[in-house]
Amino acid sequence: MKIYVCIKQVPDVNAPLQIKDGALIQDADRNILNAYDASAVEAALVLQEKHGGEIEVVLIGNDKARETIRKALAMGADSGVFIQEQIDTLYDSYSYASLLAAFFKDKEYDYIFCGKQSQDTDAGLTGSMLAELLGLPFVTNAVWLEYSGNSLTVKRQGDTGQEVIELPSPGLVTCSNDMNDPRIPNLKGIMQSKRKPVETISVNELGADRLAVKTTILGYEEKPAREPGKKYEGEPDEIARQVARLLDEAENVI
Amino acid sequence: MSTLLTYISVNDGKIKRSSLEVLSRCNELAEQHNLISAAIIIDKDAAGLAKQLKAYGPSVIYIIEDPVFKNHLNTPLIRALSLAIEKINPNILAFASTEGSKDILGALSANRGAASLSDVSEFELTDTGVKAKRPVMASKIISAVEANDSLVLITVRSGSYDAVEHPADSKIEEIPFTIDDIDLKMILKEIITASGDKIDLSEAETVIAAGRGVKDEEGRKLIDELASVLNAGIGASRALTEAGVYDPSLQIGQTGKVVSPQLYIGIGISGAIQHVAGMANSKVIVAINKDPDAPIFDIADYGIVGDLYKILPPFIEELKKIKSN
Amino acid sequence: MDEKFDCIIVGAGVAGLAAAMTLARNNMKFLLIEKGEFPGSKNVSGGVLWGSDLAKLVPDYWEKDAGWDRYINHRRLTFMDGQSAFSVDFKSSHFNETPYTGVVVLRSKFDRWLADNVQSAIDASDFAMDSFIAPNILVDEVLMEAGRAIGIRTGDERFYADSVIIAEGVNNLLTRQVGLQDHYVPADHILTGIKEIIRFDQKVLEDRFQLNGRSGMSNEFVGFATDGVEGGGFLYTNKDTVSLGLVLGLKDLREKEKTPNDILNTFKQHPVIADMIRGGEVVEYSAHVVSSGDKRVMPERLYKEGLLVCGEAANLLMNAGKAIQGMDYAMRSGILAAEAIVNAKQAGDFSEASMKKYQDALDNSYVMKDINNFQDAVHLLHDPVMTQKMPNLLCDFGRNFFSIKNEPTQKARHMLGDSVRKYSSYWELLKVGMKGAKAL
Ligand SMILES: Cc1cc2nc3c(=O)[nH]c(=O)nc-3n(C[C@H](O)[C@H](O)[C@H](O)COP(=O)(O)OP(=O)(O)OC[C@H]3O[C@@H](n4cnc5c(N)ncnc54)[C@H](O)[C@@H]3O)c2cc1C
Ligand SMILES: Cc1cc2nc3c(=O)[nH]c(=O)nc-3n(C[C@H](O)[C@H](O)[C@H](O)COP(=O)(O)OP(=O)(O)OC[C@H]3O[C@@H](n4cnc5c(N)ncnc54)[C@H](O)[C@@H]3O)c2cc1C
Ligand SMILES: Nc1ncnc2c1ncn2[C@@H]1O[C@H](COP(=O)(O)O)[C@@H](O)[C@H]1O
Repeated sequence: MKIYVCIKQVPDVNAPLQIKDGALIQDADRNILNAYDASAVEAALVLQEKHGGEIEVVLIGNDKARETIRKALAMGADSGVFIQEQIDTLYDSYSYASLLAAFFKDKEYDYIFCGKQSQDTDAGLTGSMLAELLGLPFVTNAVWLEYSGNSLTVKRQGDTGQEVIELPSPGLVTCSNDMNDPRIPNLKGIMQSKRKPVETISVNELGADRLAVKTTILGYEEKPAREPGKKYEGEPDEIARQVARLLDEAENVI
Repeated sequence: MSTLLTYISVNDGKIKRSSLEVLSRCNELAEQHNLISAAIIIDKDAAGLAKQLKAYGPSVIYIIEDPVFKNHLNTPLIRALSLAIEKINPNILAFASTEGSKDILGALSANRGAASLSDVSEFELTDTGVKAKRPVMASKIISAVEANDSLVLITVRSGSYDAVEHPADSKIEEIPFTIDDIDLKMILKEIITASGDKIDLSEAETVIAAGRGVKDEEGRKLIDELASVLNAGIGASRALTEAGVYDPSLQIGQTGKVVSPQLYIGIGISGAIQHVAGMANSKVIVAINKDPDAPIFDIADYGIVGDLYKILPPFIEELKKIKSN
Repeated sequence: MDEKFDCIIVGAGVAGLAAAMTLARNNMKFLLIEKGEFPGSKNVSGGVLWGSDLAKLVPDYWEKDAGWDRYINHRRLTFMDGQSAFSVDFKSSHFNETPYTGVVVLRSKFDRWLADNVQSAIDASDFAMDSFIAPNILVDEVLMEAGRAIGIRTGDERFYADSVIIAEGVNNLLTRQVGLQDHYVPADHILTGIKEIIRFDQKVLEDRFQLNGRSGMSNEFVGFATDGVEGGGFLYTNKDTVSLGLVLGLKDLREKEKTPNDILNTFKQHPVIADMIRGGEVVEYSAHVVSSGDKRVMPERLYKEGLLVCGEAANLLMNAGKAIQGMDYAMRSGILAAEAIVNAKQAGDFSEASMKKYQDALDNSYVMKDINNFQDAVHLLHDPVMTQKMPNLLCDFGRNFFSIKNEPTQKARHMLGDSVRKYSSYWELLKVGMKGAKAL
């Protein structure tokens, strides 16, 4: 079985950030493998352990993002494709999906795994866009997977419960981090990752000459601050009753 | 004249309030800009639901009715919406942000070559398209975004707008639709739902959220009791959904659901940004945590510092007293 | 690739990174292991990196924008009481010359940047594919065989090398495990450091602290800063933030039943500090243990066969009042340790005698010379006269000396006399003065 996993490098949302004149300023060094993609890699590894096959990760990003491919290789993926992006364009989900579609056009695979969303933008679009562009059936927000020999059984978290879907190959799945706990690469993995093949392709080579950007970020703003309220400390019985009464009398929400 | 089309989400045969919120916003925009506000219901019983929708007054209610829409499945839904777009040619197709709409948004946008903006908290029309605000960076900040396309697809976070009744004699128009099983391309085998009575979290007026501090059966009993006194929906942090203590559909936060109730009570929850991302818009936030430095206290209106096992019993008792008066 | 390394370094702090850079430049095959998510992720310093060794590791670093924040050309030592501050202030354009003699760094940024530079050095070496920086890996054990270090264990993985450099910092569990340090370190030799990073508009910061280009200021505080607890405070200017913090004696904290947090809050409310940080926004808080710099807790030997200990793991630190020096000692000792390994590799000799050359080199360097020479100053700093009476006295004197009242003014000599009688005695001062003169 051949699985491609699309992975993205994202800024660490836990790192301090700052907005200056509408621009977002972040520590340029605090970038990580998107947590949802780490789950996608983990899911692929688990399948591989049971059913064999090959896992290749694909990442579109600038030079700094290359290290994120190493991270996935250190986890256990077999090889990587690094699609080097032009630095001066702001890509959105549509443009990433179009580039990925151009990359996958003549590839053979059983499944493509994506993260269900980018941790920084929470867009959640690329995976299903890519599926549609490639004409693949897809399941988003997967929380559980199993392979039966010719199709995947996927549980997706839906609005009313978990929808159990049989997805034939080739198909695409976007993974939730609720699916698993991604392994932390061990030392052997880190050491082996250096020798695993990583192919570099420039965006231009993909023939996606006119980049499809559909949305523009105009700027960033602070969220209206929520004033911290009052802290009640002391005798449990007393403070519990006090707050209960305030919720009724002062807030009228009981 | 161009059209603002709202997709009406249906759960268990009921119209979701959050899609009425979106419809109300579209009604308002249509009025301001002199456009048509229309709605579309895609369900096995769309016609019946369309009648109820008249209370919220879109000019036209499109319906697509087929047994295949009994449960959510993305292939027929994308096909139906694509058909509807061809026929109606709207400028905007707006959805409430649900697992269902998020499932198809990207694919539909690729299918129609349309721009899409997911999970917005505000949107307005411009001469050339849509301007919107979206929380990003685990909802730590807001980004202002723009999409200029002849069709823009949007999903809107629940609680962003009020649902306003606006009775009208809406025209109901059916769009014919059929699909062969083979075209579904995948098979929905079953739906596993959590047992017990369900209050839809994203629409609940009061939400009780349990975190890792709720350690055992006794703790869960206290949560249940509190929820039943307040007629509240129960949610949980990832710590407890991951551990299998609560159903994953109850997770509140970046990965889970966004809630914006009148009252949110977080119990034994530290307040990690990814959790806060899903509840920071609650009107009144109460937190019960034994660690006075827990980050949740930074956003709580009422922060009760103490052991939940000692706090909850008198809290529940006092609430019962209030309720019975 | 399973064959053995020349060296395994445990810990990618300043010491480990300095050692790694030296090994890479000398074409050695090594493994640098860091338990944090990335080098620097959990490391805390004030932090001024004193001295000019950084230029040895990254030549012309001052021409690069990344990694470091500001260079120090303005130093201030402040004695405080509840309302006042008496400062010794020195600013000189001498300090504008490169290599600088002190740069302010934020560890999560600095360590990472230094690690990137080490990676480039690895890439340029013969072992581009065989030397590694491995983050997110905890070393559980240094593997010893017949008294000699042969590698490390992490989880159930074992890796082997001719030598191991322990650069694990102040929580030196491995140093204890190999028997170079007593398992028990008395609490009066442990300090706790806490620090906030407070952000300003860069222009505001530069105006407020009279900074020009990348120049910066360091300010240490003695007295009220620590609310009667042994220790001191510091404020350093970064690019658009200041690092404000305290270093406090653990034993004294316990005895006086105070928490570092409360003391920091009191410190921040002191009018002098409040004026400095007004309008700033706290963006980060961190805490970390620091050694006292007391030579008595230093391991006597920093080596075994195939094994070296450097940086704060070896308790190399000095806190003699005018500044904390830990990073520069870590850097120099890391360089010296790596040089010893390079020589050992060339000679094919990792015996104790060969490893001892590291300690000899350290003894002959400014590191041990300073540590030895300034021990008395270290003890003096922990003297209550210094942390309490002296600041009170100086502030009292300052208040009298600098206030102009509409009445006959006393001579300064008399004012000083009054202040001394109020807070101390000439005898006590004389003792401290003598000690101080000898110590510095
Ligand atoms: C990409 C990503 C997405 C995520 N999405 C989500 C999400 O959607 N939702 C979510 O919740 N998390 C999410 N997380 C996880 C999140 O970061 C936290 O790990 C999680 O929210 C922690 O849950 P908790 O507060 O229950 O547990 P903890 O952080 O362990 O906190 C438990 C709290 O309970 C308190 N406590 C313990 N015992 C008691 C007692 N007896 N009485 C009172 N208080 C007590 C403790 O003081 C502590 O503050 C996500 C993480 C990532 C990386
Ligand atoms: C509040 C404060 C202010 C300070 N101010 C200054 C200052 O202004 N100037 C100055 O020069 N010094 C200052 N210091 C002291 C300085 O921070 C230390 O002396 C210096 O960091 C020591 O460097 P190191 O490389 O030896 O150790 P560290 O920087 O502590 O690095 C040790 C590394 O080893 C890693 N590690 C530990 N154990 C393991 C293991 N088992 N496996 C894998 N990795 C491991 C750690 O994660 C860490 O990254 C200050 C300290 C504090 C706390
Ligand atoms: N630059 C990229 N390179 C590879 N995959 C990407 C990239 N951007 C997005 N993806 C995939 O799309 C998912 C996120 O989609 P979105 O939330 O729309 O940004 C990620 O989890 C990846 O699987």
